[in-house]
Amino acid sequence: MRTIRSSRGLTLAASTASLALVLTACSGGSDGDGANGGGGAGGGSITVGTTEQVTSIDPAGSYDNGSFAVMNQVYPFLLNSPYGTSDVEPDIAESADFTAPTEFTVVLKEGLTFANGNELTSSDVKFSFDRQVEIAHPDGPSSLLYNLDSVEVVDELTVVFNLLEENDQIFPQILSSPAAPIVDEEVFAADEVTADADIVDGGAFAGQYTITQYSVNDLIQYQANPDYAGILAAPRTGTINVSYYTDSSNLKLDVEQGNIDVAFRTLSATDVEDLRTKDTVQVVDGPGGEIRYLVFNFDTMPFGATADDADADKALAVRQAVAHLIDRDAISEDVYKGTFTPLYSYVPEGVTGATESLKEMYGDGAGAPDAAAAADALDAAGIETPVELNIQYVAERYGPSSGDEYAVIEESLEVDGLFDVNLQSTEWVTYASDFSADAYPIFQLGWFPDYSDAENYLSPFFLTDNFLGNHYSNPEVDEKLLAQATETDTEARVALLEEIQDLVAADLSTIPYMQGAQVAVVGLDVSGAEETLDGSFKFRYGALSKG
Amino acid sequence: MSVPISSVGTAGAAPEHLGGRWAWLRRAPVVHQVRQSVGLQRAMLLVGIVLTAAFVLVAVLAPLLAPYGPSQRSDEAGGFGTQQPPSVEHWFGTTVGGYDVLSRVIWGAQTAVLVVLVAVAASLVIGVLLGLVSGYFGGWLDRVLVLVADAIYAFPSLLLAILLAIVISGGQSSMWGGILAAALSITVVFIPQYFRVVRSEVVRVKSEAFVDAARVLGTPHRRIMSRHVLRNSVRTLPLIVTLNASEAILTLAGLGFLGFGIEPTAAAEWGYDLQRAVSDVTSGIWWTALFPGLAIVVAAMGMTLMGESLNDLADPRLRSRTASTEVAGDVAETSVQADVTKEDER
Amino acid sequence: MVATSTGGSALGRYILVRFLLIIPTVFILVTTVFVLMRATGDPITASQGGRLSADELQRRISEAGYDRPVLVQYWEYLTGIVRGDFGTSISDNRPVIEVLGQYGGATLELTAYAVALAVLLGLPLGMLAAYFRDRWPDAGLRVLAILAYATPVFFAGLLLKLIFAVGLGWFPVAGRASTAAQIEMRFAGDSSGFYLVDAIRTGQWWVVQDVLSHAVLPSVALGLLTAGVFLRLVRTNMIATLGTDYVDAARSRGVRERRLVVAHATRPALIPVITVAGMQVAMLLVGAVLTETTFEWRGLGFQLAQYLTVRDFVAVQGIVVLMAVIVAVTNFLVDIVAALIDPRVRY
Repeated sequence: MRTIRSSRGLTLAASTASLALVLTACSGGSDGDGANGGGGAGGGSITVGTTEQVTSIDPAGSYDNGSFAVMNQVYPFLLNSPYGTSDVEPDIAESADFTAPTEFTVVLKEGLTFANGNELTSSDVKFSFDRQVEIAHPDGPSSLLYNLDSVEVVDELTVVFNLLEENDQIFPQILSSPAAPIVDEEVFAADEVTADADIVDGGAFAGQYTITQYSVNDLIQYQANPDYAGILAAPRTGTINVSYYTDSSNLKLDVEQGNIDVAFRTLSATDVEDLRTKDTVQVVDGPGGEIRYLVFNFDTMPFGATADDADADKALAVRQAVAHLIDRDAISEDVYKGTFTPLYSYVPEGVTGATESLKEMYGDGAGAPDAAAAADALDAAGIETPVELNIQYVAERYGPSSGDEYAVIEESLEVDGLFDVNLQSTEWVTYASDFSADAYPIFQLGWFPDYSDAENYLSPFFLTDNFLGNHYSNPEVDEKLLAQATETDTEARVALLEEIQDLVAADLSTIPYMQGAQVAVVGLDVSGAEETLDGSFKFRYGALSKG
Repeated sequence: MSVPISSVGTAGAAPEHLGGRWAWLRRAPVVHQVRQSVGLQRAMLLVGIVLTAAFVLVAVLAPLLAPYGPSQRSDEAGGFGTQQPPSVEHWFGTTVGGYDVLSRVIWGAQTAVLVVLVAVAASLVIGVLLGLVSGYFGGWLDRVLVLVADAIYAFPSLLLAILLAIVISGGQSSMWGGILAAALSITVVFIPQYFRVVRSEVVRVKSEAFVDAARVLGTPHRRIMSRHVLRNSVRTLPLIVTLNASEAILTLAGLGFLGFGIEPTAAAEWGYDLQRAVSDVTSGIWWTALFPGLAIVVAAMGMTLMGESLNDLADPRLRSRTASTEVAGDVAETSVQADVTKEDER
Repeated sequence: MVATSTGGSALGRYILVRFLLIIPTVFILVTTVFVLMRATGDPITASQGGRLSADELQRRISEAGYDRPVLVQYWEYLTGIVRGDFGTSISDNRPVIEVLGQYGGATLELTAYAVALAVLLGLPLGMLAAYFRDRWPDAGLRVLAILAYATPVFFAGLLLKLIFAVGLGWFPVAGRASTAAQIEMRFAGDSSGFYLVDAIRTGQWWVVQDVLSHAVLPSVALGLLTAGVFLRLVRTNMIATLGTDYVDAARSRGVRERRLVVAHATRPALIPVITVAGMQVAMLLVGAVLTETTFEWRGLGFQLAQYLTVRDFVAVQGIVVLMAVIVAVTNFLVDIVAALIDPRVRY
């Protein structure tokens, strides 16, 4: 009979499959305990998963979140923010102050060393900044050092930063930024980006952790650095393994099933919402520095300066009506399930000096949209509705949900037939070069700060000739922005920053509408994540502990 | 046919000399093969035709069939809500973006059909033209074209399509812009297949005795050529077309899945929807992935079943034994078909 | 591959001509990819646009040399390749040759598993289908094969994940090994690229298990696709062989059909299968790109998708050129094997 033949064939197939099963069945429970020696303070080990990508762990060669996340664990800074705040204090410095209007003097602590045994002296500090400026890598952060004229070594422990502008209040923040990690002059090259492998082999680390295993964008193993002498406490966990993912759903499943202890940056909204319902993990939220905003091009928007029917008042009315109508709660809840929260100012919540200017001035005053107010604004300016709006957004760059986000914005703007919205999306590379070339009348952008100061959310956008290229110019704003930069009195400076936010809120050069929350998902036995999810937006593994 | 064609061989002996009003229909591609087939082979062919017809019908009737628009998030009753499980209002549930899955699946058929049509039509026209030119003129042009075609043909098709999609669609997001970009990226990959078939046919016909004979009689050389080549190719090309159509659907889905396809707000596309559903799957939300995925499978399967069956019927070795007796003696045809068999196997 | 050379019946000449054809083939692909990548925008705008002013962007672009004439850049690139210098990737600052070495092994490992699975499934099932030609088991198997072809590998992967990783929890969701196993392997020495080899080298059974269990779902996803193709090939060739005079002669001697399939037709039927299977390498590479992306299997395909999104054209070119060479060389070898087996192939 033929059936005999066929059943034999099937048996072969089945036995192949079962062989595979047998080979692999009980692999779940094994733990690589032998690997995790751990010499540092806390002992034990924690595995962190992330979807961020590392470009280079040389501070001169990268300027992105993924690379900076690594640098924050392994390099010291002159100034840094302790857990829980965005304000900076001396880190490996004994003191750091203005000793003259253009002289910022830093005195290092005594006896600092790198993990490889090399001494960390003022000459390493000078080297670290000089090479940033010298290399000026296209992907590097050297542009942050715009106000730095030169670095002078006074003695073993003292360095003086000579500045171009007097009393630069941002400079202390710059010293905690991606441009400022202190590196070992005996390992790093002075005039070119040093390869990751050379840095790891050279052991050029003096932060909370050192890197002991490094496979780029795949796996990094950190061990606590016993010689760390900064302001952060000794790490609570001896060994941190970081596993790199590209697909957030895989990261989500691994943290849910306990294969990793911590998932940080970035899970999708759906994943986070689902994980909140699981009793095997805890979801820890903190303020996020990332914002999204709409930019108006003052030339090409409806009634803009170069339009046929140019009329500054009408253009302002259009912007006001848009500000009245945007439904931030709908975006936050429907699209982002709370992983982004409504933003009512230019400076996000959690950063010193943040206001909620837009909340009071637009909508119903409590954060919700107000169609009647929008209609009034348009009517008062004598504008016939519906007004046609062409809004451009970028595909993929800001996550896969941008399309959904803009569908919601379109819906909220078209209420009562006030606007007729045309959405267009563009692929990022084209978008990035087009938006500043007047190609888009109204467009989407996102921002992640270089350093955690309100100024970083204002100057780049609202100074005349800003990087947005949207032709916004308000002399009063310019003046106040320059004034706050050199205002030595902290309270007076915050007051200035608040005034600037009110001024821009009246002009509506941009409309910020949401702020990314930092979300860490951790196992039930992991604690400490809430301490490091602060306004500095630096996630320190040293705060984490397990068990 | 005024020209003697005995040496070329005719497709399927029986229907060829039947007269009557419907003779053209019986001789038409596909219909002819259905008549020629028997038993299971006919069943497979018919299933393929039915699935394909259903797919095309859904695409054409999408505006009537789909309960909502492809990018509609609310109706009079309010917003649909996101990631809602299947219900009476939304048979297949809603997506993470708050769209109706059933509607996206139905509109997706339209996008797929349009892309397939444009891609196949464009590659057919360009491939046939290049093949005619290359085969007819020969020389260095022929050599270069063959070389280029071979290189492109051997190369992983999706990779080429991705690169092209980035180049073509950088900056476009309208429905037609997206569809054209996707279709053209696929086109370039397919051109070599038509090119090769037509070119080899030209080279073969060129050496046939009757062409020389016709030339002696004063008939324009080129006319005879194109006539014969096209006549023979008409029997071969439907096969490549169906197989390409299914490959086009899969390539389109692959482009969409990797994020290089059509922008979602412009048109519904299955591959993109699947990509968005990846994170749903891990949260136990199965309906956003399952339905677009099944749609791809069904559409590609219908076309492949059809193409496969046509392929079998074209190859006397593979034709069901009972049917093969009625079409003996089409040697010339076989040689072309064997070529094709090899190609689609690659 | 159509060899355009005429005459020259000598095998040596054929091999030489066929070998020389690799060069223009690869050259054409390198050129195509170079032109396409330059047309997609520059990597500086991709990474720093949205932070810097238009002038500053332009300054950096010209500093990096991306605004020089395309021909100059092209010549530089070509001469680099000839010297074996593929450049340094822009997005993660690594020598491309090192990237190729590291991830090539992963792709090779995955495709090896998949091909093994495809042969184990496709061969016997294809013979079965040929034996039951035009009867129900044949139709069933063929529909299965077509189903395997028509199911996009990422959808199959998604379903496999949903059932075996999320639902039953038998296998890991993604990746090539767990973090613990990876660390263990790194301690055992530099990676060979093949995790199975690395795992065995650690001498620890749990590491081997870990690595194997990570390989199951991706291999099955890619393997099923390939198995469908193999099944078709085997069936087609087997049927063709069963119709040859040689088999007819055996049949007329009273050899039973089952024995014909197993003993007489297998060898002649499988030889073309082997050569045609070699040509599947392009399909396999595409499948690998999608499978690797779905399962985060860090191979060439996975990296390619990553580099594409950041427009790292140096890295993309490197990977694509390597793939082109793999395809061209495989096709060359296949043609040579075919020529050795069947002299009629030599035109």
